Amino acid sequence: MTIASASAPFPPAAKRQGFRLSGEALGTLFAVPALLLITALILAPLVCLLALSLTDYEIGAVSIRWLGLGNFEKALSDPVFRRSIGNTLLYVALVLPGGVFLGLLVAVLVHGRKRSRGFYEVAYFLPVTSTLIAMAAVWQFLLHPKLGPINSALKSLGFAERAFISEPELLIPTLAAIGLWNLIGFNMVLFLAGLAAIPRDLYDAAEIDGAGGPVNRFLTVTWPQLAPTTMFVAVTTSITSFKVFDTVAVLTRGRDGSEVLLYAIYLEGFQYFKMGYSAALTVIFLVFMLVFSVFQAFQLDRRVHY
Amino acid sequence: MSLLKKALIAAALAASSALPATAQQVTLDVLYCFPSFARFHEPVAAAFVKKHPNIKIQFRAPAPTYDDGHQTMLRSALTRQLPDVFYSGFHLLPELVRTLDKRSQIVPLDAMLAAEGAEFRKANYPQSLMSLATFDKKTFGIAFNASNPIVYFNADLVRKAGGDPANFPKTFDGIIKLAQKINDPANGINGMAYDVHGWPDSWLFEAAISQSGGRLLTVDGNDVAFDGPSGLNALKTFRRFVTEGGMQLIDWEQSRQQFGAGKIGIIFTTPAHLTQVTGLVGNKFDFKTSTFPLDDTTNGVIPTGGNAVVMLTQDAAKQKAAWEFIKYVTGPEAQKVVVEMTGYLPTNLKASGPDFLGPFYEKNPNYKTPILQINRAGPWGAYPGGNTVRIWRAQRDIIGQVMRGEKTPEQGLAEIVKTTRDMMKGS
Repeated sequence: MTIASASAPFPPAAKRQGFRLSGEALGTLFAVPALLLITALILAPLVCLLALSLTDYEIGAVSIRWLGLGNFEKALSDPVFRRSIGNTLLYVALVLPGGVFLGLLVAVLVHGRKRSRGFYEVAYFLPVTSTLIAMAAVWQFLLHPKLGPINSALKSLGFAERAFISEPELLIPTLAAIGLWNLIGFNMVLFLAGLAAIPRDLYDAAEIDGAGGPVNRFLTVTWPQLAPTTMFVAVTTSITSFKVFDTVAVLTRGRDGSEVLLYAIYLEGFQYFKMGYSAALTVIFLVFMLVFSVFQAFQLDRRVHY
Repeated sequence: MSLLKKALIAAALAASSALPATAQQVTLDVLYCFPSFARFHEPVAAAFVKKHPNIKIQFRAPAPTYDDGHQTMLRSALTRQLPDVFYSGFHLLPELVRTLDKRSQIVPLDAMLAAEGAEFRKANYPQSLMSLATFDKKTFGIAFNASNPIVYFNADLVRKAGGDPANFPKTFDGIIKLAQKINDPANGINGMAYDVHGWPDSWLFEAAISQSGGRLLTVDGNDVAFDGPSGLNALKTFRRFVTEGGMQLIDWEQSRQQFGAGKIGIIFTTPAHLTQVTGLVGNKFDFKTSTFPLDDTTNGVIPTGGNAVVMLTQDAAKQKAAWEFIKYVTGPEAQKVVVEMTGYLPTNLKASGPDFLGPFYEKNPNYKTPILQINRAGPWGAYPGGNTVRIWRAQRDIIGQVMRGEKTPEQGLAEIVKTTRDMMKGS
């Protein structure tokens, strides 16, 4: 009896159990809003995209036909699309190493400045803040074979005049150079943040151990310490360069020699109205990005010392 | 909300309900292409509203290009959100009419034209332009902007090369020979530019074919018709532009800049850029224009670019208002505004008369060139199957390869014809 009366002010243990969720269930409950959002904003559209990519849906069309993998077969045998894959890979091959190493170089140099550091930071970051579309008009003038200063400089140095945004074999390298110009400042800022996080005593320790010169210090301390930053920069740079679109759209309009993946998708979907085919190309694009990013992450992860 | 604000709103409401006009107020929803065209669409609409205070013109955000506008229209046809009035590019008009007529979402204008009286049509609209918007004997649109390619030339360079600006050559052969003399690489001067390899649409390609009496498509529109001498000649001429005429393969915008800087002798382009180029040239050199060359002066025609205004609203009151609007924008007053601002061809017969554009042409003879060739205005072909844009992009790449000498004109033509036929089948 005494036990019963003593427990009376509290609800019976069994009843309380009903209100208490296990840790696992509680966790799930907290994750539900985020899960719903991910489903609504990312997973559901992705499913729609996958479904569309298997049809011949066209904007304005009344009926839809199921094609299975027809769109993908067509894409992989389409010479224009294959060229756009090749061009995109070439663009990435130029911009990815260039963006990472030039960004790192600039960051190391700027980091060593004392009074002029602010100036260099702003100067290198300016291209990032400019809209690439507006700057494309400036590039068009700069690269003009007859009127532009770049060709005047080349000619005064004794080189032949080149039409940088007209000759098919020069298009991708030119676009890559513009892409680099736009990207280096951003990568520099990321590297600067990484540099600031390196503890000073590591350099002192390196010096005591006999790693004195700037090259030695860079190789033994700076570079390994920057590995996580480098991985991040490499992944974002590759994603950015895979998504090259704006310069192509404005400067060359995807002319012969400058076809890239995103522009091909844009043309199919928004110029030719082939939504189904365009969705298939988007799926291919996503697979590329996924494979590339995952490979990169795993490959670099093994070498990164956190 | 402050008391003052409330009072103001109440007063505004009272004032607006007191106006009798609001009872029949009609608002027209209008869509046009190219945002830069706001510079004439806005003043024309403002002048129209002044004359018709009970009609309000509400412009949708302009489509960036004809193709984008076309796509917007196809999409809004499905969702039943079409504008009341639309300006369609001539080359996309057949497809637009075909798609919308099937769904009864576009209004033929014949009854309204007839109601204006027998003389109205003849007195205002040139037959060559009316036929561009007529399908199955029904008129679905009225030309608003029209242009045909013309030749811009630097008369100073022409004179220096021993040519006579008053007697500019009227054939491609004559122009190439003149350009050859103008071409002066040592001083950074190119003889000519015919930027068909980068042109956004098939206009300049078709012009080179049709000027010799050839056709882009067969009469029934189901097959290519340039698979022969007309197409081969066009490609050979394109290659000669480079090898003999001193043309450099650059972007067409760059050509225009270079022409404005006095560094190209002759360029082929649209009169729609006249005002812009006139400003660019300023007093740097003597800038003149000439008609497009014709190898065949009896059968040769040049494709007409530009757009026609079409009516889509199904509401009777709105149709009446839209007809007033269409009549106004294609009328002489509005055309005067448009032509003076751009260099387009007036699409109204009365507009070039002494009351409207006469004095303007007197003062600016360069703008008169497109009118000199209006009787040579032919249609601007569109391929069946809705693949027009894709077909042109494929053709353009091959034309560029021929011009760079990577392919012979014969190889190029065979490839263009094959690609075009494949794509016309809708693959």
